[in-house]
Amino acid sequence: MSNPTKYPLFNALASMQLTIVLLALLMVLVFLCTLAQVDLGTFGAVAVYMRSWLVFWHVPGTALSVPILPGGVLVGLVLTVNLVAQYVRIPLNWPNVGLWLVHLGLILFVVGEFVSGAFQVDSQMAIEEGQTVNFLEGKDAELAVTDVTDPQLDEVYGIRESRLSRGGTVELPGSPVSIRILEFYRNADLRNRQPGDPPSLATRGVGTAVSVTPLPPVSRDDDVNRSVAFVEPVASGRSYGVWLLSNVLGAPQSFIHEGRTYVLQMRSRRQYLPYSITLKKFSHDVYAGTDIPKNFSSLVRLYNPSRGEDRDVLIFMNQPLRYDGKAFYQASFGKNDTLSVLQVVENPGWRLPYLSCALVTLGLLYHFGLRLRRSMKRPQAAEATGDPPAAQEA
Amino acid sequence: MNLTKFAAWAAGGLALVAGGVAAVAPGPLRGFDVSGFSKLPVLEGGRLKPMDSVARNSLLLIRSQQSFAYQGRTVGPDEWLLDVLFRPQIADAQPIFVINDPDVLGLIGLKQTADRYFSFQKLAPYIGEIQRQAQAAHPIEAKERSRFQSAVVNLFDRVYLYHRLKNTVQLEGTKGLGAELEDLRGPRAPERQAALAELAHFRPLPPLPGARPDAWRSTGEALRQAAQLGTTDPELVLLGRLGWAYSFQEPTEFNKALADLKAATLAVRPDAERQVAHEELFNRAQPFYVGIVIYALALLVLFLSWLLLPDLLRSVSFGLLCAGALVQTAGLVSRILLQGRPPVTNLYSSAVFVGWAAVFLSIILERIYKRGFGIAVGAAAGFASLLVAHNLAGDGDTMEMMRAVLDSNFWLATHVVAITIGYSGTFLAGAIAIAYTLRKHVAPRIDPGGTKTLVSMTYGIVAFSVLFSFVGTVLGGIWADQSWGRFWGWDPKENGALLIVLWNAIILHARFGGFVREKGLMAMAIFGNVITSLSWFGVNMLGVGLHSYGFMDKAFWALSAFIGTQFALLALCLLPRQFWKPREAREVDATEPAKA
Repeated sequence: MSNPTKYPLFNALASMQLTIVLLALLMVLVFLCTLAQVDLGTFGAVAVYMRSWLVFWHVPGTALSVPILPGGVLVGLVLTVNLVAQYVRIPLNWPNVGLWLVHLGLILFVVGEFVSGAFQVDSQMAIEEGQTVNFLEGKDAELAVTDVTDPQLDEVYGIRESRLSRGGTVELPGSPVSIRILEFYRNADLRNRQPGDPPSLATRGVGTAVSVTPLPPVSRDDDVNRSVAFVEPVASGRSYGVWLLSNVLGAPQSFIHEGRTYVLQMRSRRQYLPYSITLKKFSHDVYAGTDIPKNFSSLVRLYNPSRGEDRDVLIFMNQPLRYDGKAFYQASFGKNDTLSVLQVVENPGWRLPYLSCALVTLGLLYHFGLRLRRSMKRPQAAEATGDPPAAQEA
Repeated sequence: MNLTKFAAWAAGGLALVAGGVAAVAPGPLRGFDVSGFSKLPVLEGGRLKPMDSVARNSLLLIRSQQSFAYQGRTVGPDEWLLDVLFRPQIADAQPIFVINDPDVLGLIGLKQTADRYFSFQKLAPYIGEIQRQAQAAHPIEAKERSRFQSAVVNLFDRVYLYHRLKNTVQLEGTKGLGAELEDLRGPRAPERQAALAELAHFRPLPPLPGARPDAWRSTGEALRQAAQLGTTDPELVLLGRLGWAYSFQEPTEFNKALADLKAATLAVRPDAERQVAHEELFNRAQPFYVGIVIYALALLVLFLSWLLLPDLLRSVSFGLLCAGALVQTAGLVSRILLQGRPPVTNLYSSAVFVGWAAVFLSIILERIYKRGFGIAVGAAAGFASLLVAHNLAGDGDTMEMMRAVLDSNFWLATHVVAITIGYSGTFLAGAIAIAYTLRKHVAPRIDPGGTKTLVSMTYGIVAFSVLFSFVGTVLGGIWADQSWGRFWGWDPKENGALLIVLWNAIILHARFGGFVREKGLMAMAIFGNVITSLSWFGVNMLGVGLHSYGFMDKAFWALSAFIGTQFALLALCLLPRQFWKPREAREVDATEPAKA
């Protein structure tokens, strides 16, 4: 049925048996990933089943993890190879144009998924009415050291979660301060220190009265990790004590070195933008006499001095603002309808699925249309002579 | 025209006429123009609808039926609502609360008996306890409640709905709306007006001149406005007269007040009349219920045709199938016009549409192959899907307003329709495969040609499903990209759709590659039913994700039972040849690998 080449490995990679096995594996992964969302949340389940090379099973009662299934990345990669190999198997002629288009579309689709997986950045922008915001917030935490001495301009140094996990000392470029990281927990439980608790690592600030129990990080969409870091700022050879920082501690803590005030804070990771967005009005309409939402919308002012832009934009459901390679979507709201949360997505591959869909649709229409016309033309003939061999038709 | 053709037209025509007769408006009841009352426009659930829809949906929620037998006759929804609004002492004695849960029955001191329906009077002494239990269960997430907790919360919700209905036009235990109008500024009046505004289940009074067109008013609001502005509100006065006339059983007064109220309301919103009359007719005609009956008839006649008069009866059955399809189409078009939306907007309408598409595909198949298989699967699919829809309708209004996130006619018309046609196709292929399986086991004659027809029908339908489910799934991704900023979020509903695409693709490749033959293809098509039912209903039961608008727990057992039967059929299909009808067993597989 295929055109076997003399390379057995290639034949195996190009075979239709492999296609079927891979599609079936993908079905199993998708099925398990869907079920797992009840416990892990969408993000966690996708990380385990889809954005992984192998799916592991933790043997209960032991520390052992056994790979039991190939993960989505592995299946996707082999499927791509299998798809590309079809171009050798399926001869390019008019009857096969449909199949070529379908498989080309599918390759683009898988490529698009990989591009999204690798390059897509999701963040949020929460703005209160009247507030102006020029940064995005990610799901991860960061340690921000802000020099607030100049009332006009804050100097912000951010240390990412991944850097915090490695420990050691971080020099803040252009400042005499360096930060020594003693401990970092991505998630932890914080409570007031009780008499019997072991002494806190912290020697300064509110952290001295807090006791910390590390917890495994959470991934459910509606949960937030309570990150904790114990850090020791050091400047010009002098230590400013050990501080406990966490995103759940309200008030920022600060120390003064040589007349400059530095604020220490754990917060959602920020990405600053060369433009700003002001929320002028958030609207939340419901259908008369019900609480069924009819519309959410944010009227914002987009201000970008570098491009001389200063204009109003209405962002509402099904109508995002696309700007600067990012898309700003109406995602959520709060504080009695005065706070609007925009989901901000940057994905260089966002156009690929559109192209893929068009190609596959065209290909399928062409292929099935051709076959339908053929079987309509000679229903009697086919019945009399039996079926033609599959290879010519596939 | 020959006899068989004539029989088809006659059977179809007769079915349509019978369906039409069922839709004729009933005459006055004890002299009251109940039918006129049913066409009064009111605002409820955010949209304008006839009083009839409020009555039907409420009774459906409370009793799971749209009418009930009481004192030797049938009480319709509108008559019931009139009593609830204006003669609560009568309505309180009517057995309208259905209670199935034995623990809830125990709570109100009753044993489970054949009679599952109870009047408000019977429940009244236990309302406090029911409320206490329901409030205790309320903080628990719906899917984590025990059976008793779900049942008691459900009962309390129904009692509360009934309570709100009783207090929508006039407060229970007062002398009625007329007395309320006399005492607009009495010492306790503001309190009563606030209670009426708070409890109102629907808004019967049109907006004041100059107000927003959807600013319909509850009786409480209108009373408050009248008290503040010192004006007389003609609609309010008429509603008061209507209530008075009904509570004192004065038909002439009632009919006059009704006509005046309707005229006054329509003077404010003249556009409401056609919309409301259309919906009332749609309610009364019950096209989907009529459809169930016609499809069942078509199926019965087809079965009969296998025993006697094959050509004539098959033709009659085809006529009936077409009549059923016409009735269902009329219902579907009505819904589209009434809602101003594409056909699929919720789980209920998806069931109606899945069936509709399956029936039409089957009619086309029957026209091509003319062997009666199309009729069999079409009538069965139409019947089953409308039955499913009928059971999904118990949640009240099936034409509820669309949530903001789904409010996009373009995407509803493309993504949702394509996906649903994909469901339809996959189910239809599964249905044909089931027909194939049953036929192998019970058909008395050998018919290799028939088997071949079934195989090529299945194959064609699977190809059709791949096209629609793929396009539908990707369009869904594009919609998600447009509204939430990610093309693919691995949301359970998206995953479900992807599973259907993958499974259909596997079937096609397995067939192309010659890895499965006739029996394997059919078995795979039956498994397609499992995948589709999981993706259609199963994922909603997880309660995760953006698509969980169709959350449901009651259907869990129904779904499990369906999947169970599919696995049984799958096993039946895969049984080796010695289990088939003996003569068939000796026959060689009619289609060798890979049919083109």
